[in-house]
Amino acid sequence: MSPEQQRLVMRALDAAPLVLFALVLAGFGALSPSFLAPANLVNVLVQSSAIAIVATGMTFVLLTAGVDLSVGSIMFVAAAVSGKLLLAQGWPPSLVVAGIIALGGLCGLLNGLLIARLGLIAFIATLGTQYVGRGFGMWLTETRAMNLPEAFTQLASNRLLGVPLPVIVAALVVAAAHAFLMRTPRGRQIYAVGQDAAAARKAGVNVRGVLWTVYVLCGLCAGLGGAVALAQIGSVAPTFGANKEFAAIAAAVLGGTSLFGGRGRVWPGTVFGAVLIQGIENGLNHLNADPYLYPLITAGIIFVAVLLDSARGRLRRTLGRRRIRPD
Amino acid sequence: MKKSSFICLLTIFGSLLLVTGCGKPDAPPAASGSGSPTTVQTIGVSFETLQTEFWVAALKAFETELARRHIRMLQAVADGDANRQIEQVRNFITRKVDGIIMVPKDARACIPVIKAANAANIPIVLFNRPPAESDAKSVAVVADNFTLARDTVAFLVAEARKAGGKYKALHLIGDLGDINAIGRRDGFDAAVSNATDVIEVVARVPTEWNNEKAYAGVVNALQKHPDIRLIFTPSDLHLPSIASALRNAGKWHKRGEPGHVLLAGFDGDATAYQMLVDGYLDATGVQDVYFEVEASIQAVLDARAGKPVPPTILDPGFVIHAGNLEEKAARMWGAKKK
Repeated sequence: MSPEQQRLVMRALDAAPLVLFALVLAGFGALSPSFLAPANLVNVLVQSSAIAIVATGMTFVLLTAGVDLSVGSIMFVAAAVSGKLLLAQGWPPSLVVAGIIALGGLCGLLNGLLIARLGLIAFIATLGTQYVGRGFGMWLTETRAMNLPEAFTQLASNRLLGVPLPVIVAALVVAAAHAFLMRTPRGRQIYAVGQDAAAARKAGVNVRGVLWTVYVLCGLCAGLGGAVALAQIGSVAPTFGANKEFAAIAAAVLGGTSLFGGRGRVWPGTVFGAVLIQGIENGLNHLNADPYLYPLITAGIIFVAVLLDSARGRLRRTLGRRRIRPD
Repeated sequence: MKKSSFICLLTIFGSLLLVTGCGKPDAPPAASGSGSPTTVQTIGVSFETLQTEFWVAALKAFETELARRHIRMLQAVADGDANRQIEQVRNFITRKVDGIIMVPKDARACIPVIKAANAANIPIVLFNRPPAESDAKSVAVVADNFTLARDTVAFLVAEARKAGGKYKALHLIGDLGDINAIGRRDGFDAAVSNATDVIEVVARVPTEWNNEKAYAGVVNALQKHPDIRLIFTPSDLHLPSIASALRNAGKWHKRGEPGHVLLAGFDGDATAYQMLVDGYLDATGVQDVYFEVEASIQAVLDARAGKPVPPTILDPGFVIHAGNLEEKAARMWGAKKK
């Protein structure tokens, strides 16, 4: 394959997540025209907003070749605390939302302490905080559902200039994250640490500082994502946030973020990944699909996306290889 | 490592140990041979998880009932980990308990520990979840999920018939890997298969016992079929999500009000009780936790005494609705939690 052909294939593979996204939308639209109705597309966006926010935080972590398995538990802890503040203490919803976000940041600080300061492996450290978080939340709620007041759930159904509030919040988070990654020195350092932490350190990058930053940002996003999801559901149940870490990782990877760090973007990648995951679920609901098909179809699409990502990685390595002698 | 870092690590792992469910003796030990009405002195109780109100209510009922019978209780919670649960039950066997009651995480993974209990001649009862078929000997005390779900849905069908017209229905399905969810699904199907003149099931949504999925599923189904007028959830756990979705769609009305969506659940938790009282829920199939707890303990005592015990003891449960709320509320565990 000539270099020109290789570059064309590379471009095609780079666009693969978007093409896959368009194909899935078109496929569901063909099978159930109501799927593409504007009201339903808005519905998909609203339902994707929470996971898009959490996945944005996860993208920061994945870019450094780390992982945060505690985001679901952070969501649960934040939800449990907010339930207590709303119901027992009578705090106003806006203050509760601020509290949730701050709590998420604190949990992120704890992860940062374990990983950046104490040097624990991210997988083990965040697995530990996942257990601690869920246990703490269960203790706090005594495994009882807390039904939240309408003043709080109203936040999810509010609109600004006709756009649902959850979508606006998600858009602001994504825009800020994209600008941070693309336009600030710390954003570029995140990529550098993910590419090669040792080389980044030699180049003068404060690797510890970068790790602190990504885990705190991930915690903040988990807290905010939890608030958005909580406002939609209207109750804190013991399963709240369960397995959200996998959905967040899947959304980032579907959007082209590498699990090995150094590669990926919040926009459009992670956002499209999050919308794709929710879109598949919505589409299957619209088709009234056999419930046994849900995991098969969702896993199949994720598998295709990961295969494409793998092919892209191989081709990139081939292109990046030095050619010592002509073929 | 600095001292502060070491203390921090110690605190985190200490907390981990606390929440991951090391077995702990909970009830005070019975005075051995001090007038106890039975030779059974210690029973090990292993729960797969305490992630639902039902399991918490069951654990409390075990504590109360065993204390009443002067039996010491060893308890362990596996936090959803089948391997951890196996180890915890093996610990019970090593400690030579007089009986074991477990809520298995997995119907197959529990077979080796049942066999180990058989070999140690310790009676073992599976609470609320039956084991997979095998030659291991145990007693399963389970709700009759199929019949109870069928009867609950039959009540909704009767209400729909009374109101007249054809009802479009949304059927939420729990975790397809959970035999209880399958029993409830089949119960729903059996009830509506006899009522095709009144009920048309237009949407089936698997929830994996996850409220976010339940909420999204109900919103999506209402988007596609705004004329859905009947909803069945296989667990009361999802009722707040359904309420939120119906409220957003402008369909949250009490019984008797125009536009009321017929709604039924399963379990009998505190939210269901409150919704029944408030008039938003039409019926729920109640698992009789107290019956199941008493039957489990009695099965251990009988097996220990050499009396015959059937391999399966069915909790018939009951359907509770506005018409019998006062009469049945005393046996509804969600009502008692109030």
